[in-house]
Amino acid sequence: MEHNRNMESVSASILTTPAWRLRPALQRPVPVLAAGQVHEVHGQGDDRAAGLAFALGLGAANRSGTVLMVRSGGRPSLALYGEGLMLLGIDPARLLLVEAGDAATLLRAGLEGARCPGLALVLLESEGPLKGYDLTASRRFVLAAERTQTPVVLLRHAAKAQPSAAHTRWQVASAPSQPLAAPPGAQVRPPGLPALAVEALRWRGGPAGQTWHLQWDEQHGGFRDTTGTSNRSENGQAAPSGAVLPLAALRAG
Amino acid sequence: MPLALVARSGQALRLMAVERDAARHGLAPGMTLADARARCPDLLTLPHDPAADATLLAHLATAMHSLTPSVMPDPPDGLLLDISGCAHLFGSEANMVEKASEITALSTIHALACNPAAARALARHGTPAQRRAEDVAALPVAALDLSEEAASALRRAGLKRLGDLATRPAPALAARFGEGVVLRLRQLTGDVAAPLAPQPMQAPIRAEARFAEPIARTDDVLEVAEDLLRQVAAQMEQRRLGGRRFALTLHRSDGARRRLQVETGQPTRDPLVVVRLLRERIDSLADPIDPGFGFDAITLAVKRAEPLAARQTGLDQAEENQDNLQALIDRLGVRLGQDAVLRLIPANRHMPEQAQVQTPAAKWNGTVSFALTTMPRPLLLFDPPQGIEVIAGVPDGPPLRLRWRGTVHEVVHAEGPERIAPEWWRQRGGHMGTGAERTTRDYYRIEDGHGRRLWVFRRGLYGTQTTPAWYVHGLFS
Repeated sequence: MEHNRNMESVSASILTTPAWRLRPALQRPVPVLAAGQVHEVHGQGDDRAAGLAFALGLGAANRSGTVLMVRSGGRPSLALYGEGLMLLGIDPARLLLVEAGDAATLLRAGLEGARCPGLALVLLESEGPLKGYDLTASRRFVLAAERTQTPVVLLRHAAKAQPSAAHTRWQVASAPSQPLAAPPGAQVRPPGLPALAVEALRWRGGPAGQTWHLQWDEQHGGFRDTTGTSNRSENGQAAPSGAVLPLAALRAG
Repeated sequence: MPLALVARSGQALRLMAVERDAARHGLAPGMTLADARARCPDLLTLPHDPAADATLLAHLATAMHSLTPSVMPDPPDGLLLDISGCAHLFGSEANMVEKASEITALSTIHALACNPAAARALARHGTPAQRRAEDVAALPVAALDLSEEAASALRRAGLKRLGDLATRPAPALAARFGEGVVLRLRQLTGDVAAPLAPQPMQAPIRAEARFAEPIARTDDVLEVAEDLLRQVAAQMEQRRLGGRRFALTLHRSDGARRRLQVETGQPTRDPLVVVRLLRERIDSLADPIDPGFGFDAITLAVKRAEPLAARQTGLDQAEENQDNLQALIDRLGVRLGQDAVLRLIPANRHMPEQAQVQTPAAKWNGTVSFALTTMPRPLLLFDPPQGIEVIAGVPDGPPLRLRWRGTVHEVVHAEGPERIAPEWWRQRGGHMGTGAERTTRDYYRIEDGHGRRLWVFRRGLYGTQTTPAWYVHGLFS
């Protein structure tokens, strides 16, 4: 009896404990932007493209439907570029852009989008402190997203994290890429595919505090976790087979 | 300046219509353009557009409904109005004519007669004196609108005027010149009816509610609006229409009116969709609705309607999503203005910043998409490009170090150059290559020590008079 009870308690702990905590080396979770949840992506002012690529690549690339992107006005000089979106696997025809003047309009338009069923992703982009975004506002987003099962992502450039009801919060920055093979006669090697350094600042029921090095997978689309492989290749050593794609060959082909 | 419209007929360009000044120079429709130029060297010409004429005529026919309910367009350039029993409403027939020419705002020729065929013949073939006297008998035989052979046969027989024909016995005319002559003649004299086929007047789609006691609360107003929308939806369903523009007018008890207008991207009959738009409109008003002592009456009019067939709902998920999206675009457009809800459209241009445009989503329904490129293109684009200071190899080496916004970036990896030359075909004398070496751009994709990937370019080539300037144009992820 005693023995059986021990067995039960052990199996119960296995069932309740997430798999990644039991065997972290083998089952390392990759960042996901779950549907029907609110996610915050923080970034430095210069890393706007990195945060955007993270949100689009993880939130929209594997879902069909329209991507609603609400941008706060005032910085019209930095426009989304259609051909660049194509390279990330997002057809610009799927994109609906909304220029919101101030923070209140931004949140309101975003909430409208989150309440609309059938969207692939609702993306709100703001810079600096976002007035009016607090626990209540974010909870409203969560309720809307849960009903429509749309992921809602707030891209917050150069902003401090605030308490909110968000499911995850990420810090995203550009990371050194895996350079391609130098063409004949060139002294420097061309930069490689998009690469991101991602840290989970907060992840409800997930590995908060972990960091990843994500790299764009040109063959399958989407970002792939390459943590631990990039450092070695940066030092000029051969990368382990299968971990890093032969980029030069891909580009040439 | 004399003006004429020209079109190609056969091998020659011929005048199709002439303006009054040109007519004074002796030009007339049907003349070849070469002849017209010989008479009047400073003649201005524009291409003749029959489709636009037809649109204008249909528009004028609709406008004429303010004079009489029975209007028939007589293409290409005529309108037949049955004014029986209408003239007294305007005082006299002369007043009515004046009103009609006011509505058209064009120089017009009119004729009044006791039947439509006679009025038409007088207007098209009569002289001013004949038109004034309503003298059908004095019209030339061409007014019968017969074929050219029949008309010349009549003329050869010495029958020049309709009056000459009217005195001859009809059986003899029919035997010699055909039955058509007699029929047309009897239509002109009114012996045989020549009925109009009037363009039916579209009743406006509207509904109205009047109250015994004024109402003041916005919620009440919207509730009434929903009820009115149900009424107009029933009207539109019968006519298989859907509204695109709805105007709600609130009549205040002191006589003031407040008008709210909403537009939808797709024709709709759904009251709830429009009520939601109206609520958005009321919420986003700069000056809120002041009910004063309340509203006496509320009217709702559908200003613009388009065909909308009945549809089975709840079957097709993709279609439903499309409807939801369209409703979202409408709602956002009402709140933020239609210019704030945009879509990215490719433009067929060479320079990266001109290769795409942002178009209001409500106005664009196409499916044109970007082509997948093999060249590196950034995710975000600076417009205009931002100036930087660069140390680079001459003549076309990539940057080695750059200073941007006061920060120095060491370039670790670089790719390039990709040369994008200016669009010489858009510049005056561009094919000569003048100025090309100053505006040609060499693009490089670079990566700095922190992993930031930038798209930078050099404007101009080394070796020209000016030193080339460097710019950051885009950010890669």
